[in-house]
Amino acid sequence: MSVLKLCHVDKVYGERENQVKALRDINIQVKEGEFIAIVGTSGSGKSTLLNLVGGLDTPTNGKILVKGREIGSLTRKELTIFRRRNIGFVFQNYSLMPVLNVYDNVALPVTFDKGKHVNHGYIEELLKELGLFEQRFRYPTELSGGQQQRVAIARALVNKPAIILADEPTGNLDSVTTVEVIGLLKSSSRRYNQTILMVTHNEGIAQICDRMIHIEDGRVCTDRCQFLQKGGDVLC
Amino acid sequence: MLKLAYQYMRYYKNQTFAILASMILTAALLSGISSLMYSSQRNDLENNKTIYGDWHYNIEANQQFCESVQQKETGNGYDLVQVGKKEIRDVLREPYLISFVYADVPYMQMTHRELTKGRYPQKEGEIAADHYTLGNLGFTGGIGDGVSLGGEDYILTGIVNGKWSSDADEMEVFVGEGFAGRGRQMCLYLRFAENQKLYRQLDAFCRKYGISGDAVEGNEHVIQDLGGEQPDSIYEIVKFALTDERGNFTYVLLKLTNEYRLDFYGMITLLCLFSLFVIYSIFQISVSKRTSEYGIMQTLGISEKRIAGILIMELWILFFVGYPIGCLLGNGILNICYQQLANIFGTRSFGTAKTGTELSKTDQVFAQRQAESPGFYVAWKVMIIGFFVLMTALAIIGFITVYAMHRRSVRQIMAGDTSYIKRKRYIYARRNGDLASVVVRKFMFSNKRKVIGILLSLSIGGCIFLCTAYMAENLKIHADMSMKSEDGLGSQYKISVKSNALSDTIPKSVVEQIRNMPELSMVYASKYTLGELIIQKNELEWVEYFKEQNQDSYFNQRYGGICVEKENGTYGIKYDVYGYEEGMVTQLEEFLLEGRIRMEELENQDKIVAVANKDGQGNYNFYGKHPGDTIRLRVPKDQDCPDENLKFQGPEDCYIEKEFQIAAIVSRALAKEEQFLNVQGWSNSQSIIMTNQQMERQYNIADYSFINASPAEGNDTGTVTNLLLQKIKDIPKTVLKDLSGAIETQKHYLRQQQLFFSGIAGILFVISLFHIMNSVNYSILSRRREYGMIRAMGITDIGFYRMVLQAGMTYGLLTDLFLFLIYNIVLRKMMDYYMVHIVQFLHFTAEVPTSIMAMVMSLNLLAAEAAVLIPARKIVKENIISEIAGER
Repeated sequence: MSVLKLCHVDKVYGERENQVKALRDINIQVKEGEFIAIVGTSGSGKSTLLNLVGGLDTPTNGKILVKGREIGSLTRKELTIFRRRNIGFVFQNYSLMPVLNVYDNVALPVTFDKGKHVNHGYIEELLKELGLFEQRFRYPTELSGGQQQRVAIARALVNKPAIILADEPTGNLDSVTTVEVIGLLKSSSRRYNQTILMVTHNEGIAQICDRMIHIEDGRVCTDRCQFLQKGGDVLC
Repeated sequence: MLKLAYQYMRYYKNQTFAILASMILTAALLSGISSLMYSSQRNDLENNKTIYGDWHYNIEANQQFCESVQQKETGNGYDLVQVGKKEIRDVLREPYLISFVYADVPYMQMTHRELTKGRYPQKEGEIAADHYTLGNLGFTGGIGDGVSLGGEDYILTGIVNGKWSSDADEMEVFVGEGFAGRGRQMCLYLRFAENQKLYRQLDAFCRKYGISGDAVEGNEHVIQDLGGEQPDSIYEIVKFALTDERGNFTYVLLKLTNEYRLDFYGMITLLCLFSLFVIYSIFQISVSKRTSEYGIMQTLGISEKRIAGILIMELWILFFVGYPIGCLLGNGILNICYQQLANIFGTRSFGTAKTGTELSKTDQVFAQRQAESPGFYVAWKVMIIGFFVLMTALAIIGFITVYAMHRRSVRQIMAGDTSYIKRKRYIYARRNGDLASVVVRKFMFSNKRKVIGILLSLSIGGCIFLCTAYMAENLKIHADMSMKSEDGLGSQYKISVKSNALSDTIPKSVVEQIRNMPELSMVYASKYTLGELIIQKNELEWVEYFKEQNQDSYFNQRYGGICVEKENGTYGIKYDVYGYEEGMVTQLEEFLLEGRIRMEELENQDKIVAVANKDGQGNYNFYGKHPGDTIRLRVPKDQDCPDENLKFQGPEDCYIEKEFQIAAIVSRALAKEEQFLNVQGWSNSQSIIMTNQQMERQYNIADYSFINASPAEGNDTGTVTNLLLQKIKDIPKTVLKDLSGAIETQKHYLRQQQLFFSGIAGILFVISLFHIMNSVNYSILSRRREYGMIRAMGITDIGFYRMVLQAGMTYGLLTDLFLFLIYNIVLRKMMDYYMVHIVQFLHFTAEVPTSIMAMVMSLNLLAAEAAVLIPARKIVKENIISEIAGER
C-alpha cells in the first residue's frame, strides 16, 4: 500500500532571472514500511523534497499525497495537525530543546495535542530501546552527538508517525555512531512499520536502505530497490 | 577600530537603530525637561522682578555716599549696572500711612513705577501718585487738579504705575527734588551684573565703601537664584547634620534644595540615570547577540582593550549622532508647547516655607496672570554637562561589558548565552501537560538579570506614573487647602477691613444683609481679636523663631514683641483669635491633626481649636499640648482699646483671661487676618479658633472682621461685585477682593500641571515600552530556531501564540506585583516624606484613584502582551524551514 505519493512535483524558488528550479517533475511512490535513502550532491534538491513531503513547504506544481490525503488541500492548521500526527522529523543538528531534559524532549510533541494522554510507558520503552533511559534526566548539552541524535529519533517516534523524515541524521556523527543510529532507524521502521525517508550524502549508508532515490539538479536520476541479504549484503 | 565599529553597526542595523532611538528619546527627554525647568526658573525670576522690583540690594545712605556710588559704577570685583535713589522726605499717618518720596529715574525704572500720564513733580507743592493711592484718598479728578494730604493741598502732575500688589502696606506719593518735607531718609537701590555671583560682588562693594553687610537689605525673591547669598558649603551642611542635634537628613535635603537647587539637579540626575539604564539595557542586548563573535576575535588575538575600544567607539558614534538630534527634538517640541506649560514648574507658589516680604498666594497667581508672555530658554549648561556625563557613562558601560566577558573563558564567550540551562533534574512531562509553554517560559525567564531588567523597565513607567498621579492628587488638594486657608475657603469674594484697629469691624447688621442676598451662596462671616496665650517656660519651643519675631521693629513697637517673658516667669505669645461659624468649623476637619471638631462641643463646653506651629521641616507641634489639655488665653476686654493695650502689659482689668480646653489641633486657620500678625512678611501666624457665639459670649464681640462668599449659581459676577460694593460702601476701611480670576487661573495651572506630568510619565512609559519590546523581541527571536522546531513538530499557530501570550501574561502579572510592592513599600513612603518635609503639603493622604491604578496595571499587562505578540507574529509569518536553518 502506498503511504506517500508525489505526482509531477515542481518546486521553484525566486522569480524571473533569480528563479531556481529546485525540483522538477518528481514522481515517487513510497510503500508503507519502506526505508528510503535520498542521495545526491549538495543543492540537488534532497532537502527540498523532504521539506515538501513534511509539509514544511508547498510545491509550485504537482501533488503530494500522504496516506491518501493531498497535503496541498489542507488548511494551515489542518496541515500542522496532520504533520504532528503523521510525520516525524530527525535533523542533522538534532534540534533538541536545550532547556528540556531527555525525557521532556521526547515527550514534547505528544503534549501539543491538548488533552492527549501522555503514554509514559511508551516513552520509557522508547528510551530503553534507544539506550537513553539512564540519561533521561540529562540535558542535551550533557550528551554526546550520538546520544543527542538518538533522543531526536525517539522524539520523532513518540507520536508513532507513519513517515519519518530524516535530513542527514548522521552528518555530524562518527562512523561507529552512524551505524548505530541507522540501525536504530531501521529497526524502528520494521518494528512499527514506519516509512523512513532519509537524506544522506553517504553512499555507504544509502546502500543499507530498502531503496535509494538519487536526485540531481532537481530530478530523480535513479530510483532502485535494494534487498538485503542476511548479513547485510545488498541485492538489487 | 573605528572601521570595525562602523561595520558592526551596519551589520546589526536593527540593534543599532534601537540604541540610536533610545539615545534620541532619552536626550530629548533630558534636554527638554531641563530646558523647561530652566525656563520656568528664568521666568520666575522675571516675574519676581516685575513684582518685587528689578534690583538686588538696598542700603541706607547719605548724600555723599550716594554721589560717590553713582559716579563709580564699576569697581574691583563688582559691576554695578544700575543705581537708583529713593528719599523719603515726609510721612503721613492719617488717613493712611503715606510716604512722600523723591526718587530718581533709575529707581522708578527698577521698581516699575514709570509715569503713565503727566510729568514728574518739580516744585514744592506738586505730587505724582498711583491710582490705588489716589482712589483711596477719594480723588476723582485728573492731572492739574488739587489733592488734599494731611491738610495741605498739592497739585497732581502725573500718574505713576501702581505698586504691583494692591496689598502693599504703605502708600507712596512722589514729589519733586524741591520738596523739603520734615526729614530725609535716603536709600540706594543697587543692581549688579547678573553674570557673576551677586554675593561676591556685594562683598567687593562693601569692602570698597567700608560698609557692614548687615546694613544691606536684599531683594530676596530676585537674588535667591542669582547667588545673592553665599551658600553654606556642602561639607558644612553635612557636618551640621551629623554633629548638631537639630541637624538631620531632612535638614540636609532642605538646605541642598534651598541653596543648591537639589530639586532641579536631582531631577536631571534621575533623568540621566534613567537614560543610562535604558541605553545600557538595549546595548547589552545588542552585545549579547555577538558575544560569540567577540570570543572568536579573542581567539584570533585581539585584546580585550581593543574590543572595549570597538564597543565604546560604537556607542560614542551613535551618541554623537543621537544626542544633538534628541536635544533638538526635545527643545523643539517643548518650545512649541511652552506657552501652555510655562507655569508648571512655578512650584514655589505652592511652597510654604517663605521668608521676607511675601505676597499672598492669590496675589502670586494674579502676578502670574499679569506677567508678560513667558520665554523659552534652552538649558545649554545642563545639556553640555549631560553630554559629558553621558559620554563618560557610555565609556564605563563599554568597560563593564568587556569586564563581564573577561570573567568568562573564551570558550564560554563563544558559546554565547547559556544562562537558560538549568540543572533541575525533574521531568516536567509528568506534571505539566504543556511542555511548549515550559520551553517558552524557560527561554524567557531563566536569565534572571534580563528578567529583572524587563520587569524594572515595565514597572518604571508605571511607578513614575503612579507617583505623578499621587503627587498630582495631593498637590490639587494642597492647592485648594492653601487657597482656603490663605484667601478664605476658596470663596470668590473676600470682604475685609483694611485696618489694624480691633474696633474697625463689619457691623452685624451688614453681615446679615449680605447673608440674605439671594445672589450669594456660602456666606461665611468671621470675627477676630488679638489675644495672648500664656504658657509656662518649660513649654516654650522655637525660642529662635520667636526671638526673630521679637526683633522685628514693627512687632516690637506695636506689640512689645510677639513672645514676651512675664514677671512671674511665664510667657505671653501674641495670638490671632478667630471666631468661625458652623460651616467654617466643619471645613476645619480637612486640616485636622489631632482630636475632633464638633460644633456643639466648642459651644457648649467652651472648647477651642488650636492651630499648631509648623517648623521648617514640616513638623507640627502645639507646645507639647494635645486635645484635652488646657490653655490660658487673654484678650483685650474692650475692642476699642488703645494700641498700647495690644502689648498686653497694661493693668489686669484691661483684659479677660480664661482657660479653655483644647478640642482639636489643626494645621492651619481659615480666612486669616492680614493686618495684625500676618504682616511684614510674616505669614501663618499662631492662631486660636472658637465659634462666633463663643467670641460674643466670652469677649462680647458682636461684629465681624471678614466675610467670605461665592456667587450663587447663575449669577453674573460683575453684578454681584457691584451689589457687594454697595453693601459695604459706608463701612470705613472695608475692601472687597474678587478672587474668582485667581481661583480660575489656579485651577487652570493645576490642570496644566497634571496634564504635563501625565505627559512626561507617558513619555517615560513609551521609552520603557520601547526597551521592553526590544528586550522581549530579542528574547523570542533569538530562539526562533527552537521555536521553528516546535512548529515543525506540529504546534498550531494558535497554540504558539497561546504559549507566548502566557509568557507575556506572566511578565505582566509579575510587573504588576513588582509595581505594587515597589510603589506601596518604597515609593509611597518616599513621596510622603517628600510631601511632608520638603515641599510641606498641608495634605498628603489622597490615594491614587483606583481607576488609575487599575489602568496602569492593565497597561502593563497589555504592554507585556504586545511585547511578546509582535515577535511571535513575526515568527509565525516566517517560513519554518528558514527558522530551523537559523537564517536572519
